[in-house]
Amino acid sequence: MMNAVCDTSSPVQDLLERYVDCLDEDRLEEWPELFLENGLYKILSRENEAMGLPAPLVYYYSRGMMEDRVTALRDALTYEFVYSRHLITNTRISARDDIIEASSNFVIFHTCEEGRSKTYAVGRYRDVIVETDDGPKFKKRTVILDTFAVQNLIAAPL
Amino acid sequence: MGIEMTSNFWPAEDSSRIPYAVFTDPELYARESKRLFAGPHWNYLCLDAEIRDPGQYVVSYIGERQVVVQRTEDGDVVAFLNSCAHRGAQLVRRMRGTATSHTCAYHQWCFSDRGDLLGVPQQRGVKGQGGMPKDFDKSKHGLRRIRVESYKGLVFGTFSDETPPLYDYLGPKIRPEIDRIFDRPVKVLGYYRQVIPANWKLYLENVKDPYHAGLLHLFHVTFGIYRPTMSGRVTMDESKGHSVLRTADIDEEQADVNSTYAGIDKYRTDYSLRDPSLFDVKPDYDDKVTNMIMTIFPNLMLGQVANTFQTRHVRPKGLNEFELYWTYLGFEDDDAEATEGKLRQSNFVGPAGYISLEDGEAGRLVQSGVNRREPDNCSTVQMGGRGAIEDQDTLATEVAVRGFWKCYSEAMGLARAQEQA
Ligand code: FES
Ligand SMILES: [Fe+2]
Repeated sequence: MMNAVCDTSSPVQDLLERYVDCLDEDRLEEWPELFLENGLYKILSRENEAMGLPAPLVYYYSRGMMEDRVTALRDALTYEFVYSRHLITNTRISARDDIIEASSNFVIFHTCEEGRSKTYAVGRYRDVIVETDDGPKFKKRTVILDTFAVQNLIAAPL
Repeated sequence: MGIEMTSNFWPAEDSSRIPYAVFTDPELYARESKRLFAGPHWNYLCLDAEIRDPGQYVVSYIGERQVVVQRTEDGDVVAFLNSCAHRGAQLVRRMRGTATSHTCAYHQWCFSDRGDLLGVPQQRGVKGQGGMPKDFDKSKHGLRRIRVESYKGLVFGTFSDETPPLYDYLGPKIRPEIDRIFDRPVKVLGYYRQVIPANWKLYLENVKDPYHAGLLHLFHVTFGIYRPTMSGRVTMDESKGHSVLRTADIDEEQADVNSTYAGIDKYRTDYSLRDPSLFDVKPDYDDKVTNMIMTIFPNLMLGQVANTFQTRHVRPKGLNEFELYWTYLGFEDDDAEATEGKLRQSNFVGPAGYISLEDGEAGRLVQSGVNRREPDNCSTVQMGGRGAIEDQDTLATEVAVRGFWKCYSEAMGLARAQEQA
């Protein structure tokens, strides 16, 4: 019987996967904890990015703002209930001095309460990650959203 | 399908009861394409600021028809249908760019930046055979041109020769509100696209409805961007199809807020933000206007929410879907701090914004609800009263929604209850 599983993932890979797990398993409260106190979370449409236009879809520049989003999602905002599932591929991680840069492609599927799934969003994450006493954290996560004709709305973080 | 359009369509003459067929009937949708989007109305196309340089063009929409809006080499703004004069192919293939002529991919017909046909390959045939008829007259085979006029940098187009001048179409009650924003040169900070699973007119109802704004949107209410207890006014033009909903943070008494929201959990004194810096942005004007939502018939909304300014073009994509195309604006003379403030407050609006995401959900809910109804079942639009459709100094009203339906009914040539008698 196996009672120990060898964990082959790096701490950075683990951060990327915890991000997905907390969103897909409805543990939104854990999402801000993956960022530095003054961390940046930004969603940019690929169209704006390509044109060099700055207007973001979401622009949070503190963990407090991310916590505010979570509180709003829990008690304030009106939006459709969905289950989400993220798939992450093509992850690249490179480190220079104390700064780790990572990027990966994502697909997010949404499944409604009646069990129909659809592709909701496609894009790429661009990350700057730093080591802290509490393990690696996002200093910056920029979400480049290919599906910039947003399907109705963006409620939970991508 | 096939509901009677010529008599008995509207059960109430004052547009206080709206049959759900307007959101579900494919015949009405087809009629809109002719009567609204090809009829005598000005349809928003783009901003002057997007096609400032000679040769710049953008592809926009009038209804579902794709239209190229072009700055010519001579500096004029012209527009034409994005369909080749030969056999109809989509002509311009990128959504924006710079070109002083356009060549169709299919058989290389070439058009000037005004849409005139310049060249037809093999017009005189090959080796003395074939070719176009001798009497083929290139000057009669240009692109379908669209009339264009602009006001304060907002560019509109119309297929109809009967559309009155844009200046008059907007009218004396709407123009000053445009002037308030567009008297200073604007710059585009970005675009948002939101594909909402609802009939396009549900969005027009939404932005003409101050009643929902203080009930659906907790953020508006709790953080004082918009409350019906503030000073508010609904203004309409003569046709009642355009409207302005203006809210200013003046004359608000806390006692009125408390009694208005007694028992409604959208005004939350226990709700605060851990990082309220979103609200810490210097106002762009001294007039204390926190919210100004203007609609121009048939399908443009433009306005201000806190420090954000935008046009929202409602682009129908079939009976049950539209794209809300946002052009998010700053002013040319904004300093770095003012621009940063607008980028921060983008968190209020757009498809992910604290306020606007809820309007996407509202659209979905209404379409999904009305799809279950009989086409002659009606909504009740009576907040603010029945009868005459007049400007009101209150936000507890749906009068501008009634105004929209009055104008719609006339534009669509749909008989009103009174006329049946
Ligand atoms: S369809 Fe355009 S050249 Fe033939
Ligand atoms: Fe709203």
